[in-house]
Amino acid sequence: MRGTGSSGFPYLLKGVISLTKKARSISAKQKRAGWLFLLVASVMIFIFSFYPMISALFMSLKTGSAANMKWADPVTFNYSRMFQDKTFMKSVGNTFLYLIIQVPIMLILAILLAQLLNNKDLKFKGFFRTCVFLPCAISLVSYALIFRSLFATQGLVNMIPTNLHLIDENINWLGQTGTARFVIIFALVWRWTGYNMVFFLAGLQNIEYSVYEAAKIDGATGWKTFWYITVPLLRPVIIMTFIMSINGTLQLFDESVNLTNGGPANTTITMSHYIYNNAFGVGVANFGYASAMSFFVLILVAILAAINLKVGDTRD
Amino acid sequence: MKRKILSILLAGAMAATMLTACGGAPAAPAADAGAGEEAAAAEEEAAAPAADVASEGEHELSVYAWDANFNIPALQAAEAAYKAVDPDFTLNIITQSGSQDVEQAVTLAASAGDYSSLPDIVLFQDHYIQRFVADYPDAWQDLEDAGIDWTNLGAEKISYSTINGKHYGAPVDNGTAVFAYRTDVLEECGYTIDDVTSISWEKWLEIAREVKEKTGYAMLSMDHSGDDLPYMMLQAEGLSQWKDNTTPVLVGNDAFKSIIEVIVEGANDGTIILANSWGDYTDQTIIGNQVAGVMNGNWIIPTIEQVDENSGKWAITTLPTLEGGKEGYASNGGSSLYITANCSKPELARDFLAYTFGGGDGAIETYDAALKNGGVITCCISAGKSDVYQEGVEYFNGQAIYADIVEMGSHVPVIQQSDFHYNLRTLINTLITNVQNGADIDSEIQSAQDQIEFEIAGSTN
Repeated sequence: MRGTGSSGFPYLLKGVISLTKKARSISAKQKRAGWLFLLVASVMIFIFSFYPMISALFMSLKTGSAANMKWADPVTFNYSRMFQDKTFMKSVGNTFLYLIIQVPIMLILAILLAQLLNNKDLKFKGFFRTCVFLPCAISLVSYALIFRSLFATQGLVNMIPTNLHLIDENINWLGQTGTARFVIIFALVWRWTGYNMVFFLAGLQNIEYSVYEAAKIDGATGWKTFWYITVPLLRPVIIMTFIMSINGTLQLFDESVNLTNGGPANTTITMSHYIYNNAFGVGVANFGYASAMSFFVLILVAILAAINLKVGDTRD
Repeated sequence: MKRKILSILLAGAMAATMLTACGGAPAAPAADAGAGEEAAAAEEEAAAPAADVASEGEHELSVYAWDANFNIPALQAAEAAYKAVDPDFTLNIITQSGSQDVEQAVTLAASAGDYSSLPDIVLFQDHYIQRFVADYPDAWQDLEDAGIDWTNLGAEKISYSTINGKHYGAPVDNGTAVFAYRTDVLEECGYTIDDVTSISWEKWLEIAREVKEKTGYAMLSMDHSGDDLPYMMLQAEGLSQWKDNTTPVLVGNDAFKSIIEVIVEGANDGTIILANSWGDYTDQTIIGNQVAGVMNGNWIIPTIEQVDENSGKWAITTLPTLEGGKEGYASNGGSSLYITANCSKPELARDFLAYTFGGGDGAIETYDAALKNGGVITCCISAGKSDVYQEGVEYFNGQAIYADIVEMGSHVPVIQQSDFHYNLRTLINTLITNVQNGADIDSEIQSAQDQIEFEIAGSTN
């Protein structure tokens, strides 16, 4: 008791422990203390994280204004409603479009960049790595706003070709569906490639150089080394970045809000943006419906992550 | 060694920031009195957390408002005017970054069922108030016993803040829509301001094409992420998109269809610029000198006036209509003051609002100062007769635009409003974009009607 007590236990804890029978072994007391410490964190996590989730689940079964919410009739009203909601379905489509196009482009670019920057003989490695990673240090809102002004009708991207007389009329990048989607995907790739590259770089540095040397002796070319050594050994990192990217893309919000504001005609709006609009965007909050849609996103993320883990798992 | 230097540097940087942080606070109040007022206000805002909504003592009221160049000067003017009644009176104006902040504060308080986080009075957007009163009836106190002569206030403006026959709001500004034209550009094409007054939209498109061809200027622009053109153009016809609060009338509404066709035609011709965002609308099309015409609520005038070199070249008039031959009157935007459930001094609050914005004895003093300092134009008929309103405005070539706007405001038709105004506006933006891209107008109108009915059904279930 004295031995453990002197190591700086709070007085309260000391009191609790001194109440226990002396016969208890030191290890049992230490375990109990461990659980006590754990308890504080667990209760906090429950109150601030799990309780809101559970209450959001109940809220998703209710309708009415925030001041006067009542159980929906039928209870699943909000859930069945979202499948008839054309705007929400459009937002699901948009989000998956971003996912399918952007994530592969970004991850492939990230692997290639990591491979390049992992080269032992490369000079100014630190400088290049910082450059590629730097976009991630910029706040989401500010980079989205910068992209918006770059791609504005009178923006820099239009000004250069106009002044060089390559095009006659300014392109309304953010005012047309195709180009607006392109700008969002381009911005996402710019923002997140460096972030994923860092994970690949860390993974690459864990691969023993001797493996590559052995491959070289066996006569493997650069491409073969990459495909048969680097990629399989990077598999866990690839899976992790994939899950993170899918998760991040499904919750995409800032770009849709700040770059295009969902427009034109809701063709670039994401699920999170539409959920936000229902909760805080247009007039009085519809928290019930917004919560229901949030759970839809949760289920999507869970399913996609499970598939991903299953596909990536090589153990039998 | 390197690490040691780094840690010393870091520690030094931290100490320096701490010192400046502690040293900065007492230095600010010592600033000279001239610049002091603004600095002190900013200081107060920074020091006091957002929750500081309490009004202490018998003579203080707190209010949430936004726009330091427009609404805040109006409130300061009212505070000064009310001192004639109560010399100890102070108004604790808490500046918000935008109208959404006030809406969210009310939503938050209502969801929690605890209104103590609200100030005594809030400034609130006209188009939203009906729905907020309907959904959160406990959040408000009405103005029935305030002794305001409601006939002295613009009927159209008051129609927003009257809910179930009860008056809830005291109007601040006047949202009367104006059509401002660059007379020099019109002149280049052989037109005067009279040639674009009382015309039909068809004729307007004709003139606009000519102007575009000869001068390169577009004739009109609008923020297409929140497109108010259809609403204003329909109001100028005396019509609404709504039969009642929850019944939209888009399908079979011929005037509505014609208006959409006018907008699409103008957009395709390049005579109407549909900007991607509010910032593009104001900064690029208006301040960026792309347009020879601006049609919006009169609060857009300060934006027009930001281009110094165009001083004296503008003039304002009324809106075109579909038929032509008559002047179109409409209104857009604007806000009013409402007393919240948290106000513990409702008599003081009512008396203050009635005396100043409600057209009482302090109305002329309030609105004269509000006009001078913020460009806020009254919808109070008696206050609009003051001398300040009769003065010509240099930027508009000596036209007495304020008197003109008050006059126009008295003609704005009262039309059916709806709690779902902004939901529908978003859908109509989509409709216009789709028609512009070649979709069939009738099926698009049908799908907008279906979608708004779907949204209404969802929130009234």
